Amino acid sequence: MYEMMSHYAGAIGMPPVSILTTVFGAFCVAFTVIICWGRLVEDFGAIGGMMAAAFIIGTFWVLNHKLPGFGINPELIPHPDGGSKQFGLIYQGFRGAAPWVDMGTAIAAGMWVCGLCETARGGRLWAAAESGPRVLATVLGGAIGGAMVGLIGWTGANLFGYK
Amino acid sequence: MRLLATVVGGAVCGALVFGVWPEMWKSYGIMGGWLAATIVIGICWYMNHWVGMIWNEPGRIWVDQGWAVSSSGIVWAVVRFHSEFAQCLPTLICCLIGGGLAGVLAAKVKKHHPSFNRNAGVPAESREPVCMK
Repeated sequence: MYEMMSHYAGAIGMPPVSILTTVFGAFCVAFTVIICWGRLVEDFGAIGGMMAAAFIIGTFWVLNHKLPGFGINPELIPHPDGGSKQFGLIYQGFRGAAPWVDMGTAIAAGMWVCGLCETARGGRLWAAAESGPRVLATVLGGAIGGAMVGLIGWTGANLFGYK
Repeated sequence: MRLLATVVGGAVCGALVFGVWPEMWKSYGIMGGWLAATIVIGICWYMNHWVGMIWNEPGRIWVDQGWAVSSSGIVWAVVRFHSEFAQCLPTLICCLIGGGLAGVLAAKVKKHHPSFNRNAGVPAESREPVCMK
């Protein structure tokens, strides 16, 4: 079973079973956010948004992104056939050496597709084109922020004799 | 100018998520990650969507700060750990597919589920208050 499931891993870059878990994890978090977040904000205002951040994102982070660490297992748990166990539903390629794919991708894509589906027929192409610059600006902003945080690893000051 | 504010909001959100979240998780484990979600996403949502740094208008497609978190995670790993961008493509595509499926289904639910249509057929003066958004 395990062999069959990991047969095409080389060709598609991830084990087929990880496709299932990744799609399922992305689906769960995006659906819950789209359905619940707006209603929580309607019911509780800004506090509802904070509650949604804690309950929805916090809880789904455990489901999708938790890694072995403090309190679970500081080292990766090795699999008998080699490699190590993945804990979260969303697969991170090459033992986490691939760039980090966040569940924010799934939420943002879900919100976007939901908005597209709710737009009346005929206006969809215009709506998608209209959202393009806003999406690009958000992506650009995220890239700038991510690059700045990443640069810490290169240029961080050598404090307290840290090696 | 709204687009510039969108870039700034995305940059703050991305930097905060990937500057704080891994450290919280490494220090406090699962509870640290949960707490990071509360403080980071809570305050970023307040700034980007409640106050409105990210440009959204009623009746248009919603642009979520998830886009910023998404691109930030990839760029952060590429800059910091010299990861190869192509290696994350399979997972990225799976995430987009899963999110898109959820979007289609959620749109159907919002259209047909009675809980989202409480005001259907109710006269205008006795309706429940609708959301400001």
